[in-house]
Amino acid sequence: MSITRLTRRQFLKAAGATSAFAATGLSFARTAYAAAADYLQKRLAAIYKQDAAMPLRKSQDNPVVKALYKDYLEHPNSHFAHHLLHTHYEDRSASVKKLKAKGIKLKV
Amino acid sequence: MREIEQVWTLSNAPEPADAARTYFVQVDQSKCESCGECENWCGTGAIQPADGKNGPRTVVDPAACLNCGQCLYHCPFGAIYEGVSFVDQIEAALADPDTVVVAMPAPAIRYGLGEPFGMEPGSYVGGKMFAALRKLGFDYVWDNEMTADVTILEEGTELVKRIKKEVDKPLPQFTSCCPAWIKFVETFYPDLRDNLSTCKSPIGMLGPLAKTYGAEKTHVEPAKVYAVSIMPCVAKKFEGLRPELSDSGFRDIDATITTRDLAYMIKKAGIDFKSLPDEKADPILGDSTGAATIFCATGGVMEAALRFAYEVVSGKTLKDVNLTAVRGEKSLRTADVPIPGGPTVKVAIVYGMDQAKIICDEVRAGKSPYHFIEVMNCPSGCVNGGGQPIPPGTRMADKSPLEKLRFALRRAFNSRATV
Repeated sequence: MSITRLTRRQFLKAAGATSAFAATGLSFARTAYAAAADYLQKRLAAIYKQDAAMPLRKSQDNPVVKALYKDYLEHPNSHFAHHLLHTHYEDRSASVKKLKAKGIKLKV
Repeated sequence: MREIEQVWTLSNAPEPADAARTYFVQVDQSKCESCGECENWCGTGAIQPADGKNGPRTVVDPAACLNCGQCLYHCPFGAIYEGVSFVDQIEAALADPDTVVVAMPAPAIRYGLGEPFGMEPGSYVGGKMFAALRKLGFDYVWDNEMTADVTILEEGTELVKRIKKEVDKPLPQFTSCCPAWIKFVETFYPDLRDNLSTCKSPIGMLGPLAKTYGAEKTHVEPAKVYAVSIMPCVAKKFEGLRPELSDSGFRDIDATITTRDLAYMIKKAGIDFKSLPDEKADPILGDSTGAATIFCATGGVMEAALRFAYEVVSGKTLKDVNLTAVRGEKSLRTADVPIPGGPTVKVAIVYGMDQAKIICDEVRAGKSPYHFIEVMNCPSGCVNGGGQPIPPGTRMADKSPLEKLRFALRRAFNSRATV
């Protein structure tokens, strides 16, 4: 049955059902969002509460970090720190180019 | 295949050379109900209908997947599984008296690990986490928060050098903690790799320090050290396998597990988690600060870096460390931070790859006004990472009757509507 052949009554019925679905769908989505946001809010709040409760709040004040630099790494970005703690990054674009050439669509 | 805290998981521990071709996340076609929820969470579009229409979804290729696990975290049907697990390897190492097994838990673990044991979301369980790791038999419990602090000193110093043009590296500087984000840049914006901080992530730093400095200070033979990364993240399983992470002279990280994997191991060992006493990390690589613990929230790395940069550049003490301007819930936030005796530092905080794409396009066009940009893949940061306990109300069995009806309708209509 094509849309142009709907009777007035059938059209109203379909439109009513569609808008009811849209409206309830939206309200479900809101409930779902609120429930999801709730667990996340609680996890996030715990982090900042813990931060405020820590005796030291700045990285440069960490005594173990100070000892590490004094005994071992010398200073931030030292030659040895670069060797152990820094890295480089690869170009991985060729593999996705191949996928796209095969006709696979991605968001990026 | 076994079920680990509501996520089916293969017992597969790939070699570093095979990591790039491994599916860390994949859809079980027989369980997929084609509701399309996973696609809403995927930053790259790697997860899509296998038939090209509206049928069961699949991860098309490991190359396109950032391994973040947000799809399996939010799948109402538990139809998406993890393709990599080191649980068996770790249990074998713990049982071997000759192996010195080191636990390295991320900040976010202590804000999620209580949930699988029936504790309320938001319960801080850091002390119990250290106690549980000792009960499991780890020889040393070192804290990834300690190297979060080291990251700040390294990355903050690098930023100051870039701003002062003491190094030949471009601005803005991007953070480099998030493994999904790193893979995103390497795959889709390889021309912006120089904008990434050269700093390894905090776990990328703790691994080699455990096998060099840590082993030296504790008089342990480095070859006997087995370093276990414990993360709120599936993508960290890929990061741990990166071939280049071997600067200690060994594999820097031997195995990676998630918060869920750890909960599974604790339950399997019959440990009564809730009644454990509060313990601390071991010395040498164990102390941490507030700046380190906020790493797992969006804006946390930025705030920690600013607490450092302010004092280094101005030479003054930062009196109020609560830099609330960079906190918040929006997926893009910006701030101008004036530093006495220095520049006004322009910063941006981003989560989600949709937003990151916009920022990357701006940088590529040479139009980015920022000095420093923090990027995380997961909504609100690692505390909501794909390796964390599945949020309450996610799976169909946990949904309210109304939610069940909504997903039933979506399944019936094979709808791909965004929530």
